Amino acid sequence: MVAHGRQCKIEGSQATARQTAELLRSVISQQRVPYTNQAGALIDAVKAVGEQLIAANPVELAVGNIVRRVLHIIREEDLSLTTAAIGELNLSAVSDDENDDDRDGNTTLSAAAVAAAARSTLRPPSLQTLLEDTPVSAAVPQTSSSGAADKSSRSRKLKHDVIEAVNELIQDIVTCHEQIAEQAVEHIHQNEVILTLGSSRTVSEFLFAAKEKKRSFRVFVAEGAPRYQGHLLAKELVARGLQTTLITDSAVFAMISRVNMVIVGAHAVMANGGVIAPVGMNLVALAAQKHAVPFVVLAGSHKLCPLYPHNPEVLLNELRSPSELLDFGEFSDCMDFGSGSGSPLLHVVNPAFDYVPPKLVSLFITDAGGHNPSYMYRLIADYYSADDLVVQRRAIAGN
Amino acid sequence: MSMSAYYQTRAAHHGVVTSDWLAQSQEAATRAVVTGGQEIVDGGKSGRAFSVIDEFNNWRKQPDLAEAVAAIRALAAVIRNSEAKTMMELEIELKKASDSLKSWDTTSISLTAGCDLFMRYVTRTSALEYEDFNSARSRLIERAEKFGEISYKARKIIAMLSQDFIFDGCTILVHGFSRVVMEVLKMAAQNKKLFRVLCTEGRPDRSGLRLANELAKLDVPVKLLIDSAVAYTMDEVDMVFVGADGVVESGGIINMMGTYQIALVAHSMNKPVYVAAESYKFARLYPLDQKDMGPALRPIDFGVPIPSKVEVETSARDYTPPQYLTLLFTDLGVLTPSVVSDELIQLYL
Repeated sequence: MVAHGRQCKIEGSQATARQTAELLRSVISQQRVPYTNQAGALIDAVKAVGEQLIAANPVELAVGNIVRRVLHIIREEDLSLTTAAIGELNLSAVSDDENDDDRDGNTTLSAAAVAAAARSTLRPPSLQTLLEDTPVSAAVPQTSSSGAADKSSRSRKLKHDVIEAVNELIQDIVTCHEQIAEQAVEHIHQNEVILTLGSSRTVSEFLFAAKEKKRSFRVFVAEGAPRYQGHLLAKELVARGLQTTLITDSAVFAMISRVNMVIVGAHAVMANGGVIAPVGMNLVALAAQKHAVPFVVLAGSHKLCPLYPHNPEVLLNELRSPSELLDFGEFSDCMDFGSGSGSPLLHVVNPAFDYVPPKLVSLFITDAGGHNPSYMYRLIADYYSADDLVVQRRAIAGN
Repeated sequence: MSMSAYYQTRAAHHGVVTSDWLAQSQEAATRAVVTGGQEIVDGGKSGRAFSVIDEFNNWRKQPDLAEAVAAIRALAAVIRNSEAKTMMELEIELKKASDSLKSWDTTSISLTAGCDLFMRYVTRTSALEYEDFNSARSRLIERAEKFGEISYKARKIIAMLSQDFIFDGCTILVHGFSRVVMEVLKMAAQNKKLFRVLCTEGRPDRSGLRLANELAKLDVPVKLLIDSAVAYTMDEVDMVFVGADGVVESGGIINMMGTYQIALVAHSMNKPVYVAAESYKFARLYPLDQKDMGPALRPIDFGVPIPSKVEVETSARDYTPPQYLTLLFTDLGVLTPSVVSDELIQLYL
C-alpha cells in the first residue's frame, strides 16, 4: 500500500483512512501472537507498519490517525479482556481451592487493586493518577490464568475482538458522511445563504440532506483556485435543484456580508482545534470573523489528529506542481534553468493547504455531534491513547 | 509591612538580599519558630513535639525543590511519625497538618495545591485497595517520597514536549526565573537549536539577571530588557515563555508581576504565549480580577528613600486570564487552557 500511496495518490482522507484501516486489519489477522503479552505483540506489529505508512505520506494525517486509533483499540480490548478474566479468576478462586499453586504471587493484590491499576494504564496521565505507580501491564492476570486451553482461547479472543472493533471503525469511516449530514437540518434554516469554498463531499452531502428536508436556501460557491473544484460542486448543486452562485476566491470579502453562514470541509483537525484546510480557507475564515458570520467546519472523526501544530504552514503543507497555475509554454523563458545565471527569476509556489487557527472557527460538526474548538481535545482523548502519539518501535531506548 | 513567605523563599534561592529584606526575614523567622513550636501534631507522643512546619521549612531550603514537593515530603514525615492505628485517624492527622501548613503561608498557591493533591490521593486510594493498614501506610510514605522524583521527571517531560515548538532562528521572550522554563531552554541548547532569548529584568526580584547569567553559561545569546521595553521589542519576538506559580481553574495563570502585561502585549501583536507548569500546580481558584486572590506582598527597594505618605504597590504577582495564553506545557501533555478545569473536575469531584 505504501508504493500505491506514493505512485497513484489515493485522493481524499476518507479513502486513505479506509485503506489504512483495512490494511491494519489484515496485518492483525495475519500476525501470530504468543501466549503471553499478546497485546504487546499486536501493538508492535501495528506500530512497525504504521511507521512506514506515516513516513510515506506525512502530510496525509488521516493515516497516522487511523494507526493510532487501531493501537488504542488494541489496548482497550486487551484491558476489557483482562478485567473480565479477573472477574472469572475471582469466582474460580473462591470456589476452587485446588488451584492454589496458580495463585502464588497474587494473593496480596485484591481484584479491585489490579482492576484499578489496569484502568489507569489506559487513561491519559491526569492529576488523579499523578501519585500512583505505573503498574506492570498485563503481567498479573497472565500468570494466573489456569490451563493451556484457556490461554489459547484468550489469545484468539483478543484478535477476534480487535478485528471486530476495527471493522466497526471501518464502518464508522464509511458512514461518516451520513452521520454528519443527519445534523444538517438543525443548522440550515429557511431562506439562508450559505458560503463554501472548493468542493468537499461532506459539505455536498450536508447540503443535499438539508434540501431533502425541504429547506430552501441558496449557496455561494467560491471556485477554489487553482484546482477550481468549486465549479464541480456548483454543477452538482444545480443538478439537485439548489440556487447557486459561483464567485472567485478574491470576491469572498465582497460577498461575505450577504452570507448567513459559512460551511466548509477540512483536511485535518488538530488537537488545539486548528484546521488544515484547502488553500484559501484562512481567507474565508478571516472574512467571516470580520463580518460576524458563523464559520462551521465539517469533519469526520478520522480527521481528528492528536498532534499540536507548531509550524503547520510549513510542516503540514504540500507544494503542488506549478503547472496548475501557469502554462509552461507561455512562461518557458522566465522559468528556464539553462539561461542566464542558472536560476530563474520567476518562482511559482502552489501550496495545497492552509492553517485556520481555532479562534476563527465557530463550530465543528463531526459524526459525534457539534462541538466547540476548545472541546476537541476531549474527543481526541477518547479516541487515542497518550502512549501512541509518537508512533515508533520500542527499539529506541527510553527518553 | 508584611511579606509573603513564598516570595521570601524565592528571594533566598536567588540570593538577592536587600537591607529591609534582611530585617523582614529575621522577623519572619522568629515568628515562624514561635508558631511552629505551637503546632504540635498530637499523635499521642508525649514529650517529643513534631512540627510539620519545621519539617517543611527544612525541605524548602533546597533551591531545586519545588514548594509542593517540600509540602508533600513534610506530610510524609507526618505519616511516619504518627501513631494512628486506622486509616481514618491517619487522615484526620494529615488534614490537621495540611491545614496548618496552608495557614502558615496563605499566599503560596503551589503549597495549597500540593497539600490538596496529596490529601485527595490519600482519601481516594487508601480505602479501596488495601485491607491492611500498615502496608497502606508504608505505601503512602513511599509514594510521597517518590513525589520528588515525579516533580523532577515532570520538568524533563515538559522540556521534551516543548522542544518542537522552539525552531531554529527563533527569538524567545522570557519573564521571571522559572526552573521549568530554564529546563526547557537548557534542553533546547543541548539539542543544538539556534535561538536567542530576551530576558526581562524582573524588578524587584531581578530574576532576569540571574536567568541571563545561567543562559550565558549555556552559550545561548541573551539580551536583557528593562520591564518597560517589552512592547518595544515585541515585534522581533517569536514566542513568549513563562512559568507559573499556580494554574487556576479558568486556565489562567498566577505568576510574577508583569506576566499579565507581557501577555496582553503579545496577544495584541499575535505572538503565542506558552506556559510551562507542572500539573500539581493546578489549583481550585477562580479569580475574577486581579484583586481577587489573597495579597502576596514583596517590599521594593527603590534605592532612594520614599516619603512616608507615598503609597507603593507591593503586590508580587498578577493573574493572566486564559484568553491571552496559547498553550500550557505540562507533564500531562500539551494542553489548551480549557483542559485545566476538566482535569480539576476529574480530581476533585
